[in-house]
Amino acid sequence: MLLTRHHQEASLREGAGNGVEVGLYFPLADGHGWPSAEAGRDAPGSVASAGPLHAVLRGEASLEEALGGGASGDAHAALAEALLRHLPGAAPSRVYVGNETCERLLPTPRAIGSWVASAREGRLALSLVLPPLSRDGLAKAEEAVRALEGVAGSEVVANDWGTVHRLRSRHPGLAIVLGRLTHKMLRDPRLADYFDSPQAPAPARAALCRSGELAPGFRALMERYGIGRREVDPFLQPLEADEWESRSEKLSVHFPYLFVTMGRACLLGSMHGEPAERFVPGAPCRSECRKYAVEFRLPVPGENGAVKNLLNLGNAYYHAVPSSVTGKILGRISSSRQVDRIVVTVPADGRGWRK
Amino acid sequence: MKLTVPVSNPEEVEMLAENGAGEFFCGYVPPEWLDRYGGAFWLNRRGPVVGNLVQRDDVSLLTERSHAFGIPVHVTFNAPYYTPEQQEFLLPVIGRLARESGIDGVIVSDVGFLVSLRRAFPGLSVHASSVMATLNPGMVDFLEELGVRRVIFPRSLGVADIAALCDTAADRLETEAFVLNEGCVFEEGYCMTTHRSVGALCVQLPGVPHRVLPLGGEDAESLAGKEGERARELMGAFKDWVWFQNGCGNSMSPDGIPNGPCGLCALFDLARTGVTSLKISGRGTSSYRKLVSLQMVRAVLDLVERGAPREEAARKAVALRNTPKFCEARYMCYYREASS
Repeated sequence: MLLTRHHQEASLREGAGNGVEVGLYFPLADGHGWPSAEAGRDAPGSVASAGPLHAVLRGEASLEEALGGGASGDAHAALAEALLRHLPGAAPSRVYVGNETCERLLPTPRAIGSWVASAREGRLALSLVLPPLSRDGLAKAEEAVRALEGVAGSEVVANDWGTVHRLRSRHPGLAIVLGRLTHKMLRDPRLADYFDSPQAPAPARAALCRSGELAPGFRALMERYGIGRREVDPFLQPLEADEWESRSEKLSVHFPYLFVTMGRACLLGSMHGEPAERFVPGAPCRSECRKYAVEFRLPVPGENGAVKNLLNLGNAYYHAVPSSVTGKILGRISSSRQVDRIVVTVPADGRGWRK
Repeated sequence: MKLTVPVSNPEEVEMLAENGAGEFFCGYVPPEWLDRYGGAFWLNRRGPVVGNLVQRDDVSLLTERSHAFGIPVHVTFNAPYYTPEQQEFLLPVIGRLARESGIDGVIVSDVGFLVSLRRAFPGLSVHASSVMATLNPGMVDFLEELGVRRVIFPRSLGVADIAALCDTAADRLETEAFVLNEGCVFEEGYCMTTHRSVGALCVQLPGVPHRVLPLGGEDAESLAGKEGERARELMGAFKDWVWFQNGCGNSMSPDGIPNGPCGLCALFDLARTGVTSLKISGRGTSSYRKLVSLQMVRAVLDLVERGAPREEAARKAVALRNTPKFCEARYMCYYREASS
């Protein structure tokens, strides 16, 4: 068993908190200094060595510290409190780097090398998150994967089947996790609460509370590609019990953001472009996503002015689930056989965004 | 290159066939599906009824008429996923469509369903829908191993990516790319929202209250100045982009041509990618829109195939659309990098 600075038990295998491992996901971490095609090598000085990511990697930050230091009104601080209530002693034992929707935030091998060294110091494990990849992105991702290969406890989270296929073909020993973007289920915050309505036809209600992943075809793919873990979202609708427990693979559950959709082209990445050059898929950007987010307030139909949040973070749109949903899911996780990990997204520098 | 054209009624077949359709795709929603799920769970990407056939006899008639022109018919079963029970329901439905209605194949999005479908009907042609989001060569290899005959590329791919993936797929898989109608600002393969009851989120988004927020410390004040102005401009441009992608507010040109996402002036470049087929979207639109869309694409493609240079083909495309300001804005383009 390993100890962090705070003398909380943390292990690459078990973590603390009722045996549920806690991973912290830094989707906007600065590790994306990929060279232009002409340069042919890593850009220097692109890896930040300070800040919450490295503090966590070195085992120097508790869960509360990593999630916002208890700032009043901070949703992440409330989440840390809920996590510790449901999973006493929970401490970060794994760090996720990379980004699930943008390949421009794919870390360089150099950045990964730096994080691996820090993680070794803090005795934490590292997960590399890959977005749905383009042709060029797939080639870069393979370089990044090679930098991680052989590192104890490391794994790659793939968010498209083409990446799964390529990585499994070329890196047979690699631990591949199926990312939440491949978990096809409705997650529309405008409507999801109504899926539990008794007025809905029973088959429709059931269908909206489960995926197709327990069907024989999908099971065959999981076996064929040796997938031992899949990520799922904190769904607003109550997933059927089978969806949680009738799987052979382990589950990781994300908090606090429910993935809703992703842009064909990046909204914030178009901030500094000329009008005619805006919203082109894969176009150059200034990493505006590392500075800004856009918060939308969606009206709820028939609810007299009630709104639901939608947060544009990078190229993705997320809904921060209410604490009631977090509580329900954490309650289930405590007694689940299959869910043994949670993944908490830490935007920007770990302090959330300024109001 | 063949033109893949939507059809939603047997009466449309002759009109579209005689105007250059090379392949048809349609949707079919059996009444039993509607009994079970109402409008809550769409069987395919249009629905629950609009743009779909609801009687199997109509599918049989549509197929018979299409085959008389030598045109194959594929039926869409391209919901992002089907539950195990839905898959059990759909497999016999597809079996009957193949055996008794004579369809040539199906279009699917759910990878698990694809595996089951190939096991149940190994001889049936299966096209991988754009909703599968084939973005890289690994996906082409994956789909080939699963026995897919064709990959339909998502709307987010540019001409260069299409060319590279066609090269990867060459001699192994057929390929298809979008050329006209029905855009979206989201990547449809990774969009988990529904249009049902609440409308399209992508269309609503620019109109709902929103604010740009600084992340972290040092940028907190920056939005008050020039960056704030940039942020406001950005959200205005976003509104424009959504409007263009949504059929320019469902408007028409002075010639009565429906406006909307368009790759006409990229046809010269698309023809050189090696793509097998070009898709005109819009099963749910009127017969008139289907016809006009087909005629426009056919006219420019004929020019390209007769050896017209790039500029001439592009000029023809812009002239046919007759909305020069919309073309200049470039937010209506499928392939902006190849547009003129």
